[in-house]
Amino acid sequence: MAVKNAAKEAVKEKVVSREFKEYVRDVIPDKGLDETIARLTPEKIEKTIKAVIGGRSSRIKAVMNTCIHCGLCAEACQWYLSYDKDPTYAPVAKMRMTIWEMIKRDGKVDAEFIKQCARIVFTECNICHRCSMYCPYGLDITFIIGMVRRICFLLGVIPQSQLDQAQAHIVTLNQVWLSQNDWIDAVQFIEEESGADYIDLRIPIDNEGAEVMFLPLGAEPKTGTYHIERTAKIMLVAGVNWTVPGKDVWDSSSMSMFVRDFFTMQRIVRGLYENAARLRIKTMMLTE
Amino acid sequence: MEFLASTALYNILRGPLVWLAFLVFIGGSSYKLYTLIDLAKKDKVIFPFISLKATLKSLFHWVIPFGSRNWRLRPVMTSVTFLFHICLVFTPIFLLSHNILWHESWGISWWSLPENIADIMTLIVIFTCIFFFLRRILIPEVKFVTFSSDYILLAISFLPFLTGFFAYHQWVLPHKAMVNLHILFGEVMLIAIPFTRLGHMFYFFLTRSWMGSNFAMWHTRDW
Repeated sequence: MAVKNAAKEAVKEKVVSREFKEYVRDVIPDKGLDETIARLTPEKIEKTIKAVIGGRSSRIKAVMNTCIHCGLCAEACQWYLSYDKDPTYAPVAKMRMTIWEMIKRDGKVDAEFIKQCARIVFTECNICHRCSMYCPYGLDITFIIGMVRRICFLLGVIPQSQLDQAQAHIVTLNQVWLSQNDWIDAVQFIEEESGADYIDLRIPIDNEGAEVMFLPLGAEPKTGTYHIERTAKIMLVAGVNWTVPGKDVWDSSSMSMFVRDFFTMQRIVRGLYENAARLRIKTMMLTE
Repeated sequence: MEFLASTALYNILRGPLVWLAFLVFIGGSSYKLYTLIDLAKKDKVIFPFISLKATLKSLFHWVIPFGSRNWRLRPVMTSVTFLFHICLVFTPIFLLSHNILWHESWGISWWSLPENIADIMTLIVIFTCIFFFLRRILIPEVKFVTFSSDYILLAISFLPFLTGFFAYHQWVLPHKAMVNLHILFGEVMLIAIPFTRLGHMFYFFLTRSWMGSNFAMWHTRDW
């Protein structure tokens, strides 16, 4: 009986924010948030916050000095709408609970607060920019959320799955830990397998002077090989002179963007354009 | 009360403080705008993406009532906010009594609103302010992001109109005291604009420009 009750209690247990009583959420264990905050010190947190938003950039200033707290952005947010209009899911509320508080306390926040911020900006916002379409001033709320994501990223407090993808991009410049060998091997395997359907089917690697360069998402050569196969068939039937790059970077996704890892974001885009320049292609075709 | 109704106070409010208020309002706003634009230049990713055409399109859709999707989704809020802003800006500029003051001081004058219309416009500001206040305390998503500063900003916009209305009708306080209060609150408002979020009257154009240009780049609309 006691065990049963305990189980019931555990289910009912909620996370209630210390700062904002209205912020009540289910308990969701996540290594990337629960364990990483143990590494944080108040000095580290303050230094990171000041490094990112200390010298207020024009975009932060514009939002802070213009927002009149009208709540008209709320209706734009799919999180707000799908959680029965809970005010803590409104875009402006997310700014209030994260960056406004950081600025108000001049970066002097504790690890628990950073964890709460990470939960809000990573798991309760899709950075889709819809709130900016609804804001009468067109404030760049997503940019602000991105800055908070960057603070959390630099502090290492990120949901574990997102951290893994971000690290994959840092190391391999694709999101699935595929080395250059694996990539070429996967492409050749797909070409070979598709021979049963179309004998002429080719997936040209490093075809210089091609018209189109195809850049798949990381998951395609790893778990969705049939996507590349179909692309190859379409290209064959359409008679397009195409290619895939034989060198990194070939993954057109950027998980680094979601954590605002500016350095890796830059490496990815530069890599894509360097491949395009090297192969003198006219058009880049990206999977969306 | 005697001091409030005194000519001495009137002379200060009507003399040096008017100069101060207008200088702070114009100088402060120009300085604030200049520093923000200057800062945006340092943020290298802003100006290359600004497009005049997209800016104008975005502004056009948001400054006309029901011109954007969010305005259409909230007809009550839209009507109230447009009435509020139109009356707030145009009543003081075209009020007959203000016009007379300009004429007395500098010998200049322009169009004036008929007095009864100006009276109605003042009432509109007063009642829309009450609407905004009720919105702040009643609607959950607004309440959650309401701070004391929001009430202060609301009061700063509300009081000049309330005292102006009372002064015109010579209610509540003796006329001279009410006029002095009215001038004082008006000056407070002008001085507050550059240093508070009331500055949205200028920043509006900059932030819309940035977002309108961005959305144009993504081949979509921000209205």
